[in-house]
Amino acid sequence: MASTMTKPAAIAIAAPEKKWIVRGHERCSTGKFMAWMTPWIGLLGLGLYATYLCFRYGLGETHLDNRFGFGLWIFLDLAVIALGAGAFFSGFLLYILKWKEIKAVINSAVVLGFLCYSGAVAVLAVDVGQPLRAWFTFWHPNTHSMLTEVTFCITCYLIVLSIEYLPILLKNRKLKQIPSFLVFEWELHKLMPVFAGIGVFLSFFHQGSLGGLFGVMRGRPFAFREGFSIWPTTFFLFVLSAAAVGPSFIILTTKLVEKITGKRLVKEDIYKTLAKTTGVLLTVYVALKSLDTLLWLNSTSVRAGVAPWEFYEFRPFGHATLFTEIVIFGMVPALLLLSRRLRERPGLITLGAGLACMGVVFNRFVMTIQTLALPTLSFDEFMLYLPNWVEYAVFGGVIAYAVIVYSLSYRYLNLFPQEADLQLAPKEVNNVPVR
Amino acid sequence: MFPFVDGFHWTFGHILFLTVFGMVVATMAVTLFFVAQRVMENYRRNRVAHVQWHSDFHDLSETDRSCRHELAGRVSHRECHNAFDCGHCGEHPQFTKIEPATTALSLEAFGLEFPADRLYHRGHTWVRLEDDGTLTVGLDDLGRRLLGKPDRVELPKPGEEVTANGAAWYAFRNDTPVRVLSPVDGVVVATGGPDQDWYLKVRPTRANPNLAHLLRGAEVSAWLRRELERLQILVAPAGTGAALADGGVLMEDLPQAQPEANWDAVYGKMFLAP
Repeated sequence: MASTMTKPAAIAIAAPEKKWIVRGHERCSTGKFMAWMTPWIGLLGLGLYATYLCFRYGLGETHLDNRFGFGLWIFLDLAVIALGAGAFFSGFLLYILKWKEIKAVINSAVVLGFLCYSGAVAVLAVDVGQPLRAWFTFWHPNTHSMLTEVTFCITCYLIVLSIEYLPILLKNRKLKQIPSFLVFEWELHKLMPVFAGIGVFLSFFHQGSLGGLFGVMRGRPFAFREGFSIWPTTFFLFVLSAAAVGPSFIILTTKLVEKITGKRLVKEDIYKTLAKTTGVLLTVYVALKSLDTLLWLNSTSVRAGVAPWEFYEFRPFGHATLFTEIVIFGMVPALLLLSRRLRERPGLITLGAGLACMGVVFNRFVMTIQTLALPTLSFDEFMLYLPNWVEYAVFGGVIAYAVIVYSLSYRYLNLFPQEADLQLAPKEVNNVPVR
Repeated sequence: MFPFVDGFHWTFGHILFLTVFGMVVATMAVTLFFVAQRVMENYRRNRVAHVQWHSDFHDLSETDRSCRHELAGRVSHRECHNAFDCGHCGEHPQFTKIEPATTALSLEAFGLEFPADRLYHRGHTWVRLEDDGTLTVGLDDLGRRLLGKPDRVELPKPGEEVTANGAAWYAFRNDTPVRVLSPVDGVVVATGGPDQDWYLKVRPTRANPNLAHLLRGAEVSAWLRRELERLQILVAPAGTGAALADGGVLMEDLPQAQPEANWDAVYGKMFLAP
């Protein structure tokens, strides 16, 4: 009993560091924070070394080749860009549709979006192999490629995300004491709906074009789809799936941060709102995806002269991959998040959000790795690609970069505006009967 | 892609693509230019304190932004969207015609002195209109007890201007700086301090000073009750659940009485400096 009546010993945060931490936020000690950061810094170092190898000796350092040009890195790119859609979609909900409750997570969503997109661009720089010639894509673009549109959109959107990140950064307790920073932050913040609108526009097209570029590949009948005008159905399915899982990724990351820090960061209602949003969009997506798959099985591939079920004869990509993608990672989370009764159970919200995120990641895996592994010509063979340590190290380096920047942002910035108030909310005390 | 690259031929696709992206880039550039212009205008019009208050107000929690008419019971729930500037609130005059549902409780019931001859700012300062037209500004009884005996106070010099909701003075307690908000606009004519009943004497910049945003009557007791509840939660030891009031009176020097509380957070909340 006595232990509950005394506050824990003062947390050892170095005095100069305290001045950078948001008022009312409790953070772990400096030593504990450094201990958390050390392995991630090590992993980032390994990733940078692998990047050096690629730049110094070329892509021969990896298992990528002419046949398997899209490997782990492109899969990572597609996956994080889909998950990072939470930034544009929550901006759309807050600034365009005026869902005020999204304010509780918008800062975190923006940081996550920035990390996803900057990480994707960093990996692309390694993948292209000649980062000093990156400007070629703007100067001499292939106007017949959907990747050109993707390149322009992602570059613009990364600039938008950087602009959106700036006010959050300038709101740091120490930085906002500089009057010019504060005034700039405030004026920029007031015009955030403009940037949110641009973000929605850009995201719609690049999320779509990332799907479209697979759908237009006639030489890859496993991925080829018909559609509307120049856009195959994969264009629309990628947009919809990204918008659907964006809120789920916010749920998942927020719950993860809550678990790691042991703090409540947002009210339970926010999770329910985000879960319902995913539930509705995912249901529409699964319905359209199922319809698209049926059309492909019975019409598109038949007219292309291929037997679609044969694609599922190549192990390890059997029929189970299709079932897993549509049923386990599609229908199940859609039902979990759509049902009001099930949304009342926080554990099921986490499960549903986790399955939805895994679903979009798995879909991007199927579109890149499975598509490229399957033979397309009669003399082709099924090709199993496994990344080597250099690819894994770069992959890990990007994850480490994201964790490091997010950890620093969480420690010094106000990512969750409700956090300070929730820390003050009376905690449940054991053995006290409450009606 | 671009007309100045060898082998370029215009097509409809080029025109559409470059127009759309040109518009995106132009919108971003114009927006940033507009932001820069607004920043310069704020500096030119000396509105930095005004911006700082609006920025801080934006960061206050929803309960901290409760409308004064909610406090007075005239409306069940209403959030202020005018940074407590009732003078610019279109609905404020209508609300003032309604009798407050809460009665003006005896302030002594809380063990605090909140004389009725003063108007109160939510940042724990008070204003008294003097016969000579000046305004006396001081720290209210709860604010005084929150600070206890400050280590140091930085007051503005006579002749300096203070703006409503801008910093009036700074107090320091246990290495924690506390920005105390000015309840009124004006020019400082004299300074007091913690050893006196008042901190500043201010000559208002306008003949009829805007005091519409300051709390009075039944609003004060309702607001104070909420502030005391908030303080109780803020300084309560970790793990303390809901507890009944014991009828005690607040100590004179709260930081000394409850040193283990997170006073940085308390000051941020109570003095509206998130």
